[in-house]
Amino acid sequence: MSVLRVAIPKGRLQEPALRALASAGLEPPTAADLQTRRLVFSRPDVEWIFVKDCDVPVYVEHGAADLGVAGLDQILEHESTAYQPITFPFGHCRLMVIAAPGAGSIDSAAKVASKYPRVSRNYLDARGLRTEVVTLGGSVELAAVLHLTSHVIDLVETGETARVHHLELQETIAEIAPRLIIGRNVYRTESSRIRTLIARLEESAAREAASR
Amino acid sequence: MTESRQRTYPLGVRPILADEAARRRSIESRIVEELEKHSFREIILPIIDFVEPYEEVLARDVQRRSYRFTDREGDLVSVRSDFTPMIARAIAPSLRPEDLPMRLFYRGDVIRAEATRLGATRELFQIGAELIGLDSLESDVEILTLAARLLATAGVRPVVTFSDVRIAERLIESATSDDEERRAVRSALSDRRPSDLRITAAAGSATADLLHRTATGTATLDDFATYPPTAEVGERLRAIERALRSCEEAEFLATPDDIDEAGGYYSGLRFRLFTPQSRVLVAQGGRYDGLYRRFGTDTPATGFTLTVDHLDAERSDPRSSRERQP
Repeated sequence: MSVLRVAIPKGRLQEPALRALASAGLEPPTAADLQTRRLVFSRPDVEWIFVKDCDVPVYVEHGAADLGVAGLDQILEHESTAYQPITFPFGHCRLMVIAAPGAGSIDSAAKVASKYPRVSRNYLDARGLRTEVVTLGGSVELAAVLHLTSHVIDLVETGETARVHHLELQETIAEIAPRLIIGRNVYRTESSRIRTLIARLEESAAREAASR
Repeated sequence: MTESRQRTYPLGVRPILADEAARRRSIESRIVEELEKHSFREIILPIIDFVEPYEEVLARDVQRRSYRFTDREGDLVSVRSDFTPMIARAIAPSLRPEDLPMRLFYRGDVIRAEATRLGATRELFQIGAELIGLDSLESDVEILTLAARLLATAGVRPVVTFSDVRIAERLIESATSDDEERRAVRSALSDRRPSDLRITAAAGSATADLLHRTATGTATLDDFATYPPTAEVGERLRAIERALRSCEEAEFLATPDDIDEAGGYYSGLRFRLFTPQSRVLVAQGGRYDGLYRRFGTDTPATGFTLTVDHLDAERSDPRSSRERQP
């Protein structure tokens, strides 16, 4: 039996993702481990790798990681073919169209800034809009605040940033939550171990839901 | 010509130099010898063919990955990307009952644009086998064990997963009669996205429960063998599993909930062979009983294709990226 390599997104999902997988029986890195700058931690049955959230689907897609935790936003943006058997009960938010003050509805004359060019293009194409998409790496709302673009497509957690900058939340494109993603070949060849992990994660999620 | 063009090749193709060529030819000759030992006879197919005869047969993603162009006569042609339908087209029109069962093998390159895989080779050397005219459980077992044996001949003990495409068909049919809903259910099952499964109350609780467990990967062969719509197919998989216990050339795993996207020509058994360490898919195949009918003769068939490039890469460097220490 080989060691499972698990990709964990650094940032806001890191801690709850590790906690969820630890509750399913995978031995996590220690707190001391996590304070180092190392990105790989080995345990007897699992090897943890820590990568940017947008890279988790890439590592899993190409077999460099067997499984990982990735937001649906990144799964959609990468058109990941990995299996997605578990949706975690944390890190929920929405992928939304947000407009600059007075910009009105999105149309072909609009400009859209986003960290998600593929998702944005698909959304606009589905509505027959030839709107230009400007790809940005972060602080995407600023594009609408400074009128670089008329709209942005980005994640919204509480809506506070939009409110502070007088931006208008217009439409929800997708409800976003982190999912367990598993490479297809790993799933097929390690089916017993993977199924056990999925069953434990389901039980753990059910326990958590019941305790709320 | 630009300097970069002089030094490089089109994406996904490369020359194979002497050492690697010798290794591959050695694998090829051992596999061919084994096929001939099992009474399989060689068939040689053209490298290009018309697109039209295959349009109803090939899955959409396979069609998208093929290289197509208009030839000098103005016909739309395609470079070979899948041997199996080409064999059916070549054999079916002249097939006579007394020719059956027929055992054939083929070898050669296929070219596919694998756009999403990093560094994926687009030109692949494949060897495959076809068992035409038999639909028995024994013929399923014969083709599965032959595939495992060929890899053993090349020095690899594969992990073989096998399922049956009728399990998905019957499960989805029992869930809903609406075509749009069936497509959505299949999509959620094939990607294992239980959160996207939309099951109406009409499906019944047993069906809904099995659909959910199929999507999460917690359904077992026993579940499918006892659920009435899939029981017959589940029992056949169980029988295949029992028959394979004596074959030591591979580790066989029944994966009845392995569900493909819609389309393609498979009609029953579906299997895949992976290298044990790097989990690279090196061979795949199954049963396609309706394929020959589309080309003029209604006869069952089963077979598989083995990709020598992947096999050679595994044998040369079995420590894949996931096995190496970073």
